[in-house]
Amino acid sequence: MATDATTNAPSRAAADRVPALARSARKHTDLGLGRLYLRRFLRNRLAVVGVVILVLLVLFAAFGGRFTSYAYTDADFTALTRPPGALHWFGTNQGGNDIYACTVHGLQRSLTIAVSVSVLTILVAAIVGSGAAYFGGRVERVTLAVIHFLLIVPSFLILALVSHHLAGDWRVLIVVLTVFGWMSTARVIWSVSTSLRERDYVRAAEFMGVSPLRIILRHIIPNLGSLLIVNLTLGVVTTVLSETALSFLGFGVQTPDVSLGTMLADGASTVTSAPWLFAFPAGLVVLLTVSMTFIGDGLRDALDPTSVTGSAGGRR
Amino acid sequence: MVRYVTRKAVGWLLMIVVATNATYFLASWFLDPRSNFKELRPVRSEAQIDRALAPYNLDPRVPLVHRWWDWLTSVTLHFDWGKSPTGVSVNGEVGYRSLISAELVVMATILSVVIGVALGVYTAARQYGWADRVSQAMSIALFNVPTSVAALAVVFVAIWLNQHAGLHFLYVAGENSPGVEGLFPTIGDRLLHLILPTLTLTLMGYVGYHLTQRSLLLDTINADFVRTAQATGLTRSQAIRRHGLRAALIPTAASVAFSVPAIFTGAVITETVFGWNGMGRYFIQTISKNDVHGTVATAAFAAALTAIGAILADIATVFLDPRVRVN
Repeated sequence: MATDATTNAPSRAAADRVPALARSARKHTDLGLGRLYLRRFLRNRLAVVGVVILVLLVLFAAFGGRFTSYAYTDADFTALTRPPGALHWFGTNQGGNDIYACTVHGLQRSLTIAVSVSVLTILVAAIVGSGAAYFGGRVERVTLAVIHFLLIVPSFLILALVSHHLAGDWRVLIVVLTVFGWMSTARVIWSVSTSLRERDYVRAAEFMGVSPLRIILRHIIPNLGSLLIVNLTLGVVTTVLSETALSFLGFGVQTPDVSLGTMLADGASTVTSAPWLFAFPAGLVVLLTVSMTFIGDGLRDALDPTSVTGSAGGRR
Repeated sequence: MVRYVTRKAVGWLLMIVVATNATYFLASWFLDPRSNFKELRPVRSEAQIDRALAPYNLDPRVPLVHRWWDWLTSVTLHFDWGKSPTGVSVNGEVGYRSLISAELVVMATILSVVIGVALGVYTAARQYGWADRVSQAMSIALFNVPTSVAALAVVFVAIWLNQHAGLHFLYVAGENSPGVEGLFPTIGDRLLHLILPTLTLTLMGYVGYHLTQRSLLLDTINADFVRTAQATGLTRSQAIRRHGLRAALIPTAASVAFSVPAIFTGAVITETVFGWNGMGRYFIQTISKNDVHGTVATAAFAAALTAIGAILADIATVFLDPRVRVN
């Protein structure tokens, strides 16, 4: 297994950094750990820009609808395919729907899907990954075999197949995206926690008769904290991208519901004749993913001071 | 070496067989060819619909296991992947479309790896220089752009260029123009149609290689063995290229394999935007037309591509990493 040895190496190194983190935190106890993280995070200018953009996007999704009298389902038959103007700020589409109202709703929908999928994915991946590492032996082998198999199976094809059948409902989409999205994170968590299971505090807990489930939940997973938080933000990016792709192909969110992906699909055929149909959702998607990436990088640097990469490399 | 590759290939073949059969069951579960007949007028009775599907081994009255067994025997014995609900042979479709897809995917993969690794090496050697900062910012931005947005942006720019610069060679739709005859005009025409979709896939694909290669090379560039190589009289760029890069390329070689499915996914959207009748578009069509056999054949094609990529990556790892012994 030539490939395994090489892919494990960086993550093992990351695991060794965990005590270094604890040590450096102790040195600055007068500052407080939370304040320390905050200071390190604020030092990263791009991360702060990311937070500002994200907050604006969330506010827009939550309260943007208050500023217009149109709902995303309303059709204004006196204004079909109008460019942006005073009445319809972002213009209208072929059916007379107000694009501003649609983008607010679509952003809401995409954000909800992205956040819930990445939270669920992290939960599943943390429990499966650290469980496999803690129990070892047969459990570990079987789990890894399942993970590898699911990684090799053309998952996007299966995703499209399953969500085509069940689609229409965004809640179903959340379940489907979670079921086919946890594997690569679980593999990273597994490789990091294989070194955690040998730690003294895990041994000590074992000798005191703490149950395996409690050891995983109280001793192993908390020590993966920074990794989990960083993966959570990057998971949002991945989910937004796959939700957009699925909806663009017609397998994700379906009419009458609107997400940023379906808006991109609607605007695709009129890129030159009615560019506003495409430009606003495209801009919002890119703002959302870029801001989350900046935040993820900032968090990685803040939570893990020895991190040298500091770039988006090494994922996907 | 041959034995090692054979062993790997057998393992992958097993994986493909299991994955393909699993897809067959999933597809039979989730796709209902009967619903294709629901819209037809005059209204067909249930029995009529079942009878129409029976010759294509899609009859829902036959137990799924029987249909699966018939399908499996015809695939293994005659390499016949079955028929669509309208009676079109899957073999014919896949044979034609896989070539079109391969043009796109192979070209884009090669370009992405070469451009990505080259940029990674160039920028790692000049860390925090202006070239590094600019390309880094561009790559992070591109990394976060959905393929659909990128493809449509490329279309937008191409149409604008065509209109304002009077160009005629940037085609935004289809894989060839009708009515072109002769060998060289045909090849030229196909290459011109290949430009924009390949550009899109390369833009989406090179980013990952650039960012990972840069950070991997930064890890080795200051390693002792690179400094030693420089001390023996090599120039800095020679030491980086011959010693640092060789060590840093190993994880990249391993990751090429697993990027093939990602490129294929990107190709699904790219083919849809550019109107290419490749495997990606075929996949969308088979799912929306409830074509069980076509869907399974596409999944098998994608799995085979992954396997080929993985085997090539293993061979590359063996050549690059002297610590890996194959026998």
